[in-house]
Amino acid sequence: MIYEQPRFLPGGDRFLTIEFGDELNLELNFRAQGLAKLIAENKVKGIVEAAPFFATILIHYDPDLIGFEDLKREMTALISTLVTLDDVELDSRLIYLPAVYLDRWSAEAIDQYIEKINPNKKRDPEFVAELNGLEDAAQMVRVHSGTEYWVAALGFWPGTPFMMPLDPRCRLFAPKYNPPRTFTYKGTIGMGGGSTAIYPVDGPGGYQIFARTPVPIWDMSQKMEPFREAPHLLRPTDRVKFVHCSLEEFEATERKCTEGTYQINAVGYQKISLKRYRAWAESLDRNARF
Amino acid sequence: MLGSEDNAMLEVIKPGLETSIQDWPGRYGYLNCGYPWSGPMDSWSFRLANVLVGNTPGDAALECQFIGPTLKFQRATVIALTGADMQAKLDGEPVPLWQSIAVNAGQTLAMGSARVGARGYLAIAGGIRNPVFFGSRATFNKGGLGGMEGHALKAGQVVPVGEGQGHAGRRVKEAARPMIATDKRWQVEVVLGPNDDWIDAAGHERFLATHWKLSSKSDRGGFRLEGPDWTFTERAYNKLPEHGSDPANIVDHGYPVGAINLAGQTPIILVADGPSGGGFINPYTVPQCAFWKLGQSKPGEVYRFQVISVTEAQQRARDMAARCTPDSLE
Repeated sequence: MIYEQPRFLPGGDRFLTIEFGDELNLELNFRAQGLAKLIAENKVKGIVEAAPFFATILIHYDPDLIGFEDLKREMTALISTLVTLDDVELDSRLIYLPAVYLDRWSAEAIDQYIEKINPNKKRDPEFVAELNGLEDAAQMVRVHSGTEYWVAALGFWPGTPFMMPLDPRCRLFAPKYNPPRTFTYKGTIGMGGGSTAIYPVDGPGGYQIFARTPVPIWDMSQKMEPFREAPHLLRPTDRVKFVHCSLEEFEATERKCTEGTYQINAVGYQKISLKRYRAWAESLDRNARF
Repeated sequence: MLGSEDNAMLEVIKPGLETSIQDWPGRYGYLNCGYPWSGPMDSWSFRLANVLVGNTPGDAALECQFIGPTLKFQRATVIALTGADMQAKLDGEPVPLWQSIAVNAGQTLAMGSARVGARGYLAIAGGIRNPVFFGSRATFNKGGLGGMEGHALKAGQVVPVGEGQGHAGRRVKEAARPMIATDKRWQVEVVLGPNDDWIDAAGHERFLATHWKLSSKSDRGGFRLEGPDWTFTERAYNKLPEHGSDPANIVDHGYPVGAINLAGQTPIILVADGPSGGGFINPYTVPQCAFWKLGQSKPGEVYRFQVISVTEAQQRARDMAARCTPDSLE
């Protein structure tokens, strides 16, 4: 739900979390992103940094410059100027990422988990399909890849996107692994709760996994153009579209990325309007699937 | 490149367990892209080491964890050791803690394992001058950024150091030093929230009554605690599917540094190199005045938590900052 009044929650002596609601919803993330934008534009005294997430924003403040109660008051005033969210437009790049669905690397990580940790674990693609009332893994792939993803936040590890599907017909849910997986290949695409993420580096993980992209989202070599300024590819309010590719294309792309010669397909002229998005989303049959 | 040759200074003979360059407060400003702050685990001892050698409190210096390094000085300078007692010797002679010391070109500082405390700090007059990445010299070792080539020190590296104005023979007054526990027990301050309303009254009572043991599976990213299971309020069960299926799951949100993050049933205190966000609740947060206690405790040691208010926590941080100045020297 979207709260009528946002909740202000302290985090130790220098953090304030503002919770706008408790669901995955573009409107809530627009509030968080919109407030981050206002904070930056107004250069609010005492705010060191602000990190929006799906339905919340985490504010890091300097208590020597602003007290907790004053900060709450200032934020309440700024949020009241956000009520006309309908008029807010956010810059949004669209980034096309090639991906192999039902890939052998995810399968390998799942096999390893089943063998060593939980023999009763249902394989991720079939498990997600079943939980969401889909026919089979193939339909899960159609549904998952049938939408643009909204980068609602970056976090956990530098540059790791937390994304939500923009097309309501493509919403999927999945529990996280319990206990977590000890290994996942970098570039693996998976989901947990309602969020989709891409693993930036090899490592442990908790999301259900079913695809992999050869394009790095975190690259300390910084050879390719979009990485020149920073080792992370994606920014909050970007959109990502996964484009099916073959194993051969995956390998060729991976090689080019390592050499630094791959051209990452990023489209940069678009803005997202909540009003127009909402009108479109409401025109759809939410029970429809691809 | 690792700085120009003319400020080459500190030769790494043995790197120690995980000795890293840190500055304070670290890499502020990039939480929204998922970059941790890094920085020293015990910023009280860290700042005083810098103050002793005439640096600004936040200058880049070394954090030595559990087993310290062996380093050779290529130039004469002034150094100071603070924090954990790592039995340091300069050309075989014991080096006192909490004092500034003159070293000559060619001398070797050998540090051993931490006897009291867990992390020792070594500041050098002029400060370490490794490259700045995103506004900070601090090392995020797991992420491969900052520090020397992105990581903790390695044997054979030469660490660049600036020109300093330090004086030997300064001492930190006893009253201005952190009291590192010698009985393996720590009282650690916490502030309630952000997600305290997910834990029921019995859960809160249990949290505050328990002697939590610091797990050996702890590092600069997270401090895992061993203790009893948690119990939850209705909110943890009666929620939309996007929160996830575990009672401790919440729609992914940003994590405050210092958050006591409940990963299923395991509390993990998120520290300097910790994750900036994720899908678990944070019922309590450790404020900055108590971070040094985490930094100086070893696996197997025991924490008891004591709730203080936001305002009280802010006052204690100010009191600590007031001690990290030249006024604390004699």
